[in-house]
Amino acid sequence: MAFDAGDETSDEALMVLYANGDRQAALALTRRVTPRVLAYAARLLSGDRAEAEDVAQETMLRLWKVAPQWRQGETKVTTWAFRVATNLCIDRQRARGRRRQLALEDAPEVAYAAPGAEGRLQAAGRLAALEAALARLPDRQRQAVVLRHLEGMTNPEIAAIMEIGIEAVESLTARGKRALAALLAGRKEALGYEDDGHAG
Amino acid sequence: MRMTDMQDDDLDRLLAAAAAAPARPSDDLMRRVLADALAQQPQPPVLQAGPVAVRPGLLSRIAAALGGGPVLAGLGTAAVFGLALGYLSPATLDYLTGATADAAEFFPDADFLTTEG
Repeated sequence: MAFDAGDETSDEALMVLYANGDRQAALALTRRVTPRVLAYAARLLSGDRAEAEDVAQETMLRLWKVAPQWRQGETKVTTWAFRVATNLCIDRQRARGRRRQLALEDAPEVAYAAPGAEGRLQAAGRLAALEAALARLPDRQRQAVVLRHLEGMTNPEIAAIMEIGIEAVESLTARGKRALAALLAGRKEALGYEDDGHAG
Repeated sequence: MRMTDMQDDDLDRLLAAAAAAPARPSDDLMRRVLADALAQQPQPPVLQAGPVAVRPGLLSRIAAALGGGPVLAGLGTAAVFGLALGYLSPATLDYLTGATADAAEFFPDADFLTTEG
């Protein structure tokens, strides 16, 4: 039986199949979970691609090792993986003794330097500005905002990942969004939002 | 929110666009992760081939019911001997056994049963 990212077999069922020696389940889990963990880790580590890949590989390695003891119904695979990735990212940030502070001004200027190339270039510039703003958020706010708004997790799932209460998740998410809005406020015109008719 | 902050709608759209454009894993990362997966994967138990159970045939089961090979050999011998007794004439039997033809008279006083008068 072949599995792919669109297969209806749940991640948790795939874990059981993997533990029973099913090689297709190993492939399906790799395809499903690795990209999400990598994207999450890349944002927590402020875009450090090499470190994010290391975190993704280490997270997946721990997933493979825990598979024989996996118990369906207790937790979701993605929740478990994001929790592990969160802790690995925190460890790496502590180990290097500093948090990479990307100034908002570090965002690529290509979108603004090419006023005639709107559309794709402007969208790329906006995303780069967002990533830079995310990097400037306090760690916990960044985790909550990324999990809620970029990974689409529910508040209870985020609470499980961050090992905090749901109210704390709501507070972190709200404060994170406010901080993002403030950080991006000075770039509204450059990012082209006035053209959208939402200038405030 | 300050008047100079982004509108919520703008920020939500930007976040949605970012969610739709996540970092893509490299082929090398996917290969490494899959290699780890296969290296760590528990192996299914290997089934040991046991001795093949041969179902005995009909004759074998009949022989077993009668008591096995030695008994069948005895039965065969008895059958052959019985056939020989049936085919051989009494004179030949006497020759073989060294007896006379009239040597066996089991009821010598039974003639009166067939004598008339």
